[in-house]
Amino acid sequence: MTWRLALLLLAAASLVPASQARIDQHTGTFRAQEEVLYLWSGEHVRRLVPGFESLAADIYWLRTVQYFGGQRLFVSGKRFELLRPLIDITTTLDPRLEIAYRYGAIFLSEPPPLGAGRPREGVAVLERGVAALPESWRLRQDLGFFHVLFLKDPQTASRILIEASQIPGAAFWLRTMAADVLAKGGDRASARLMWQRMFEQSEEGIIRENARVRLSILDSLDARDALAAAVAESARRHGHWPARLDRLAAEGLWRRPLADAAGYPFGYDPSTGRVFITDQSPMWRPD
Amino acid sequence: MGGRLSRTLAVAANTFRETVRERVLYNLVFFAILLTVAGLLLGQLSVRQDEKILKDIGLAAMDLFGTLIAVFIGTGLVSKEIERRSLYPLLAKPLSRGEFYLGKFAGLAFTLLVNLGAMLLGLLLTLLLTGRRPDPVLLGAVFPILLGLLLTVAFAMLFSSLTSATLAAVLTVSVVVVGRFADVIRGMRDVAPGVPPALVNALFAIVPNFSNFDFKSKVAYGDAVPAAVLGWTMLYAAAWIVVVLGLGLAAFRARDFK
Repeated sequence: MTWRLALLLLAAASLVPASQARIDQHTGTFRAQEEVLYLWSGEHVRRLVPGFESLAADIYWLRTVQYFGGQRLFVSGKRFELLRPLIDITTTLDPRLEIAYRYGAIFLSEPPPLGAGRPREGVAVLERGVAALPESWRLRQDLGFFHVLFLKDPQTASRILIEASQIPGAAFWLRTMAADVLAKGGDRASARLMWQRMFEQSEEGIIRENARVRLSILDSLDARDALAAAVAESARRHGHWPARLDRLAAEGLWRRPLADAAGYPFGYDPSTGRVFITDQSPMWRPD
Repeated sequence: MGGRLSRTLAVAANTFRETVRERVLYNLVFFAILLTVAGLLLGQLSVRQDEKILKDIGLAAMDLFGTLIAVFIGTGLVSKEIERRSLYPLLAKPLSRGEFYLGKFAGLAFTLLVNLGAMLLGLLLTLLLTGRRPDPVLLGAVFPILLGLLLTVAFAMLFSSLTSATLAAVLTVSVVVVGRFADVIRGMRDVAPGVPPALVNALFAIVPNFSNFDFKSKVAYGDAVPAAVLGWTMLYAAAWIVVVLGLGLAAFRARDFK
């Protein structure tokens, strides 16, 4: 009798993975695009979990990370529609969860396919964070950076960076950076310094990785400009654009690889002399 | 006086043994598994928020499991003795109803204390093993959780002295849930200005404010709960426990067991 029962249990248990595989065949193994947020308001969630708001915030935070990672990896034509509501619910439940503001702001602001390409929403998330954590100079610093990097508004950025510098414990270089941003209008050198600061302030993980990619993009842009200058010098010497980029090495005008920071060869149009980062490269960003 | 105390303590010791025999402390095994799994997984999933989430899970589990034990064991403390008719031979002995009632309360209070202590130890150990500093600040949240649980037991015993165990459990859970929403009652004047302030004040006064015992979010970020706040919270809990235990005892004394 016992062995019959054991056999039955084994047979039933073996049906579980088999039926799951069949379901996955029909619906796809990852169904993030079908996800629905049943509760759109953090206040509603808060009222449902009295005394356990912090734990609920953690659950929503994990869900945010899973959602974003899942969309990035598995979904084509990603729009990250749930990213903002998930971040809002998380930060309503736990307004002190600083990482959620920073993470949400970065990936709402970054252009597709890396992020949602909605920088105003990213800035709104940071403004909310600054209101909730007025003593956090890092959040205010990020808000200033985002006004330069994504909204191209150096005036507002400079004002916010000065405010950040006045918070006790703030980094000493914020005031200098505020002046630089105002004077140079957020040029590439300022942008590099900002991403460098974000890279240094982040622990190992996706935010740090994003800052690293941004720094590599700036390196690629610098290399592209230097290469364009070499092309111009060759044209000045010979009176026409070089036919191919590798001619520059033979002329002694270029000694570095003819590729961007990701190893993708630079694009080149011999009819106009234009050097560019190809859109296949992860270093490519829309102008 | 000494005899009275020793009889009360004897009931308390029996109650503790009884609850342990009912496998109440099995929740500790579940707690240990929960924390181990969380400790292993969260580093990967949470973007460096594993310490805060571990603390949140640990403290929330202490609160939740403790409340479940307080409600379901607390409501059975008196009513089971009545249903099993084991109360009659006990009361025939030189044991007053007051000693029995307070002994039962003290026994379950000790069970909850042991339970919370073991869970706290488990949480500190998990933090240590995952390379984090075992933070003594956590005690600032665990102590108020214990106070809230003691008040829950007092309510559970009050209701079980008045009605069946099932209804008592429902009523106790209702009081705890409403108590966690006490701030909503206080803020009623803002959302419904027509409500007379006296009614709002009266309503707020008769509902135990269980949110007073919640410092979980604060300590998860490493903030210490000021000693003065803990002192006032203890006084608030003590006042409510005395009132509710007193009412329960009066109801238990007035009950006719014939």
